[in-house]
Formats: sequence, C-alpha cells, structure tokens
Amino acid sequence: MKRTIAALFLSAAVPTLALAAEPDPLESPLWDYMRQQFIGQDPYRFDDRIKVNLPEFAEDPTQVPVTVDAEALKGNIQRIVAWADLNPIQHIFTYYPHPQIIPRVSLRIKVQQGTAIRAAVLTKEGVWHVGGSYLDAAGGGCTTPSAAAGNPYWESHLGEMKSKFFPREQGGRYKFKVIHPMDTGLVDAIPEFYIEQVVVRSDQGDDLARLKLSQPVSENPVITFDVRDNTQKHSVWLRDNGGNEFEQAL
Amino acid sequence: MKTFALSALVAAMTVAGTAQAGVTDKDIINDQMTPEDVVTNGMGPRGQRYSPMDKINTKTVKDMRPVWAFSFGGEKQRGQESQPIVKDGVMYVTASYSRVFAVDTNTGEELWEYNARLPDGIMPCCDVINRGVALYDDLVIFGTLDAKLVALNAKTGKVVWKKKVEDYKAGYSITAAPLIAKGKVITGVSGGEFGIVGKVEAYDAKTGKLAWTRPTVEGHMGYIWKDGKKTENGISGGQAGKTWPGDLWKSGGAATWLGGTYDPDVDLLFFGTGNPAPWNSHLRPGDNLFSSSRLAIDPDTGKIVWHFQTTPHDGWDYDGVNELVSFDYKANGKTVKAAATADRNGFMYVLNRENGDFIRGFPFVDKITWAKGLDPKTGRPIYDDANRPGNPANSKDGKKGKSVLAIPSFLGGKNWMPIAYSQDTELFYVPSNEWAMDIWNEPTAYKKGAAYLGAGFTIKPMNDEYIGVLRAMDPKTGKEVWRYKNYAPLWGGVLATKGNLVFFGTPEGYLKGLNAKTGKVEYEFNTGSGIVGSPVTWEQNGEQYLSVVSGWGGAVPLWGGEVAKRVKHLNQGGTVWTFKLPK
Repeated sequence: MKRTIAALFLSAAVPTLALAAEPDPLESPLWDYMRQQFIGQDPYRFDDRIKVNLPEFAEDPTQVPVTVDAEALKGNIQRIVAWADLNPIQHIFTYYPHPQIIPRVSLRIKVQQGTAIRAAVLTKEGVWHVGGSYLDAAGGGCTTPSAAAGNPYWESHLGEMKSKFFPREQGGRYKFKVIHPMDTGLVDAIPEFYIEQVVVRSDQGDDLARLKLSQPVSENPVITFDVRDNTQKHSVWLRDNGGNEFEQAL
Repeated sequence: MKTFALSALVAAMTVAGTAQAGVTDKDIINDQMTPEDVVTNGMGPRGQRYSPMDKINTKTVKDMRPVWAFSFGGEKQRGQESQPIVKDGVMYVTASYSRVFAVDTNTGEELWEYNARLPDGIMPCCDVINRGVALYDDLVIFGTLDAKLVALNAKTGKVVWKKKVEDYKAGYSITAAPLIAKGKVITGVSGGEFGIVGKVEAYDAKTGKLAWTRPTVEGHMGYIWKDGKKTENGISGGQAGKTWPGDLWKSGGAATWLGGTYDPDVDLLFFGTGNPAPWNSHLRPGDNLFSSSRLAIDPDTGKIVWHFQTTPHDGWDYDGVNELVSFDYKANGKTVKAAATADRNGFMYVLNRENGDFIRGFPFVDKITWAKGLDPKTGRPIYDDANRPGNPANSKDGKKGKSVLAIPSFLGGKNWMPIAYSQDTELFYVPSNEWAMDIWNEPTAYKKGAAYLGAGFTIKPMNDEYIGVLRAMDPKTGKEVWRYKNYAPLWGGVLATKGNLVFFGTPEGYLKGLNAKTGKVEYEFNTGSGIVGSPVTWEQNGEQYLSVVSGWGGAVPLWGGEVAKRVKHLNQGGTVWTFKLPK
C-alpha cells in the first residue's frame, strides 16, 4: 500500500519515469517478467549511465567477464541488482555499496545462452535506474559440470583466496580470487554449492561492500572492487550455502 | 469439501507456527508420550520405539492405506536407513548422500531440501546412508558423510551453523542421527574399518560450539571447554597400554557410528562402540578397551561413568555399537532400572543402567560358535578358542591364518537396525539374522585413509528358507516368545504400538504389521523397494499416521557374500510412504 502511494507521488513529481510501459531497449522477451521478479511495482527508468560492460562474444560461457558501473549515481545508491534474463537462474548478484567504495564491481558469470544482462540500481528516492547490454554467447554454461566435478583439487583448497591491490590515481582496486566450485545444482547428481555472501570490511570494521551472489557466478570467482581510500586496510569474508565461512586480509 | 477447507486451514496454521514453537529439552524428554509429534530418533530419548497410540490396532490395521508417497528423486537412490521426524505438520527426513528433506505431512509436498556438497574422497564403509536428523529449537541438525555436523533453519533449510567433527580423509564419516540431551547435540563418528579413533562429542545445539570430546579408545585424552578454554578432562581408561599392546591404541577404532540414547532418569548417555582396529586380533592382545562396549557417559562432563564390554578382544568384527534401550521392570516387588541391548555377537544383555552391572544375558540367534556362553556373574564371554581365526604368523608363509566358521557372521546377529520395546507386552522385538561366515586373518599395517582389516571373510546363510528373523524376546527370562521368518536378511528398525502391533520393513519391500503378542501377520503392503529404515507413528488432526522410508541398500548388498544372491534382484528406491486409516 505504502509503495503504491509512493509510486503515485513520485510519478507526479518525476514525469519521465517509465511507469507505464517504456519499451525495453534490449527487446528481451522476458523483460516484463524479470522486472516483476526484481523490481516489482516500483518506479523505474532505463538509464544509459548504468553501464554493463561485456565482451562482444562469450567464447567460454562458463567464464564471462561482467562489469557493472553505477558511478553516475554514487552516494545515492541503496542497492544494485544484476541478472541475466535468459539464464535458468537469473539473479547474479545484489550489491550494497558503502559511500567509501566506488559503486563498480567486476566478476565472471556463467550463461546458458545469449541473453540481456541487466543492472538495476535503486536510489535512495526509491527509483530504479536500469542499465543493460546484450551478450552474444555459445550456450550451456550453467548446465556444464564445474571443472571441480572432475578434479578433487577444490576439496583440499576450498575457500583459499589470492588477492592483489592496484593503486589508482584516486583510491585503488582490489582483485581477489577464491577457490570454490560454484555448482549451480542444475547438473545431475551435483548439489548446488556456491558462495552466497561476500563482505569487504575496512580495518575500522565498516562493511564497505556487501554482495549477495547466486549460482551463475563462475567457478573460482574473481571479484574486483574499487575503494576510494587507499590508505585503509581491508579484509574480505565469504560464506557459502553449505555454511562454510572464509576470511582473509586483502 | 468444507472439511477439506477447514483441515487445510488448520494445516496452514500449524505450518506457520513451526518456527515459533521451537523444540525444547522438555519436548525431547517427553517425546514418547506426546503422540502429536516425533522429535527424537528412537521415538523418545530412551530409544524404546514404542507409541501409546492405538487407533491403528489389530482390528483396524487391515484397512490402513497410503495417503501420500514422497520421492527423494535424483540419481542417488541408495540405501535409505532414515527415521522420519515430525513436528507441527512438517516431516524432516534424510536420504542417501547426506540429503535432508522437509515435507508437508498433510500433502506430502516438499517444503525445502538441503543437499550437502560432498567431496569425492568420502570413505563410508557400508553405503552412503544417513539415519536421520535431530531437532532443537528451530534447528534441524544432522551429520554428513564428510564428518560434519550441519544445523539448518527448520523453516528455510538454510545452514545456520556447520562444524567439522573430524577429517574425512582419515576415514571418518557420520551416518547416525545426532542425539539431543540438555541443550547439547551429541554425536559419534564412523570409520572403524580405517583405523580411526572413536569418540563421542557434545556441541552446544544452538551455536555449534564444542562442549566436550570423549575418545572411546583407552589412552586418548578427553577435553572439555570451559568459558571457551580447552581443558584436559582425563585420559579415557586412565592411561594407555593397559589393554592394548604397543601403540596400536593410536589407531584403535571403537567407532561410535550408531549414535546413542539418553535416559533422563539416571541422566546418562549410552553409546555403543564398534570393533577394535584392525580386525586381526592377534596383532592386539588384550581386551582393547573400550571397543565393542556400551559406555555410559555423563552428559555434562563427557566422563565415562561405567562401561560394559560385550566382546573383549574382538576377533570377528562383532562391532558392538548396538543401541542400549532403557526400560524398567518389576522383580521381587522392586523396580529394576534396566537397559537391554542385542549385540552383533548374538547375545542379548540386560544391564543395570545405573551402574552397568550385568543382570543377565542370553542368545537371541539359533547358534553361536565363537563363545560357549557367558559367565553368569560378569557376562564376559567364555571363548571357544578353536573358533577364533588363526594367527597368520603361525602359517607357513605368514600370509594367511587358519580359516574358521564363525556364527553369527560379522554382519551380526543384529546389525544397526534398532529394536523396539513394548510397554504393554514387556517384550523386546529384535530384528535379527541367521548367518555364518568363514573368516581368516592376514597381516596388515595402519596407513591413514586406507582400509585396516587384516582379515578376509565370506558370509553364508544358515538356512535355505530364511535369513531374517523378527523375534519377540522376554528380557526377564531370555525366552523367545515368538518369531517371524523372512527370506532376505532384515535390515530395518522396529516400531511397537499400544495397538498390539509391531511394524517393520523387509528388503522385499513389505511394510509388515505383526500382532505383538503372537507374531501373526495382520498387515502388509509392498512399498516398491526394500525397506531398511525405521517406521514412526504420530497423531495429526485426530488421526493416527504411520510413515516409513523405502529404498533398498545398506551394507548387505556391499558385503553380503553368498547372501548377495538372495538380494541381488532387489531394486533401489527412495520414497517416504505415509499411511492412515480411512475416515
């Protein structure tokens, strides 16, 4: 009820909002359905400033690099939700960035076929800004057994992390990799097993970034964050759906 | 139609109430006498597997019929040895490969499932089974084949906490249902075939914090955690080397793989311990404490209060983990606080559960060759030395000792499948098997993560017509009151009810209901795959329900020798069957 009232109010105040049926610039057959899943009845608009950067073609559908960049709305973000319209499991991640972190994240994902990849950014005013790109891909990334399924290496290295820090003009970039099969549960006889939570903490104990991941994130995830203050020390904490927790200083 | 809508509403309300009505210690202690739920493995912490319900009885049972069936699905249909747990309209049941399912008890619809992602390197000796969950507060707790305890949110199936109990690469695993006593979740470990060291551990049920650990092999230090600090808590058995030679106690086995029972009356945990490792007994002269024993453990401190060893210096894999079931009886006008256990070695024992004193023991199988009998005072076996497998060191090439025919076989007069005790007939119902084995010893040495037996064997049936025998045993006299014979070996648990019925399943797929007084078959229904699980019964909407898990597997098809011929045509499955009387 509250939401409807807010929406009505907002629609009066911001006439450019696509409350009715602004056509999907990516012309995805599932746009309306996905919108209901992830945005519901909230007001939204397509916004070119929300960037979803993808390769031209995903040669390896199990490792597709994706960068979501919402810097245009920095300081005004509640959360960012990313999904792939035509994946069997659509949700990729939900990201809660702290003001001390640049709202840009890169990781790799699995795709089942060519699909629109979306990022919807909810601002503090309660409006969703939706960006997206179309990914051309060879299929099958989500239903291919992980490499871990054929190699017991992960069993004794689960959760091991490697990280690097790249200072930039302002702030710096963390890139870390963690050993994890990230099984989707869509392969016969291999239960879903994936990292659900990622938290980047500053040495003051602030949660700078909270990420909720879903099964489409690639095996042995590689995740990149940008921080504004490169003098701080940071650590990362992960938890998978099996209840395993991992923590490491970056 | 109206009735349907109303019951659906009631169902919705009970389901919604689940998370609020968390399971308490009181619920667990009173489980046996609260028909509306089954919150413990054993249908009560004493493990009597007795229900005071009698709507389904010898007169009405003929009309009992299935109301729903639930498939575990997948390609993981292996032995299903689980006992379902029921609380507030939800059934929590485990399946092969460390899976847990929550099922709506009204409709049989799945609410959630949890599949442990197991490493390829797990080493279960005897099929990838699981025997069930424990409930505490709003948690569903179970053990996995990679030796972890996992606590799931009862409403969502999401992991709340998870603890590594031991290293699966050293051969540890967990298949038993955990036990809850006084806010702690208590577990044992499997792995006696790999030279592990058995132990019993208690964790805070809500947080998963380790409270104490008690090794079950003499010589190993126990620990207790006080204010988060690990403190030495006494060496099991006082010191190393009293009943073990050299350093064999360091890989001495005595796995606590079947879990335990708890009697709030005397406030003791009862855990059985498995075979000493290796099987070749000539390598380890001595009694080899605390292998093949029953241990009474203080739930607060993890100290061993008493022990009773059924097979000292076990040379036949009489892996005595068998459950110790508490019961009271009257003798000379006095109440005896007793407990009974039907051992792998073919003898049934009645003990004083306060101090472990031997009251009486008697065979519950037709023939026993490894012992001539029990010492009437102590219960210690009187060995027949001719029937201990020969020492390979005495053979010409030192590679194979003399083979002997031993009865029962190592799969036991009774294996894991739990007995039931009826408070009405005052009889124990013992699922037993009549089989023998040729067994010989070989040299062996311990190597981490490798089988550690030093023995070879082959199993053979004693009779052409049957292997399985469900027996009604009188614990006061040691007499068999009746028997029911089954072609294939029995491998599932028993349930006794006030309805004068005894329920159990057979590998041929039948759920059977027998007259508790006479053994007459009053009911049978074929579930489509072999039953190696344990039936439960509970009350819902004023009606008596009964469930059993069907799905052939377990140790028999893996180790069965000549017996395998009798079971190789049996097909696998993985289904919960639920029954009630028609309205």
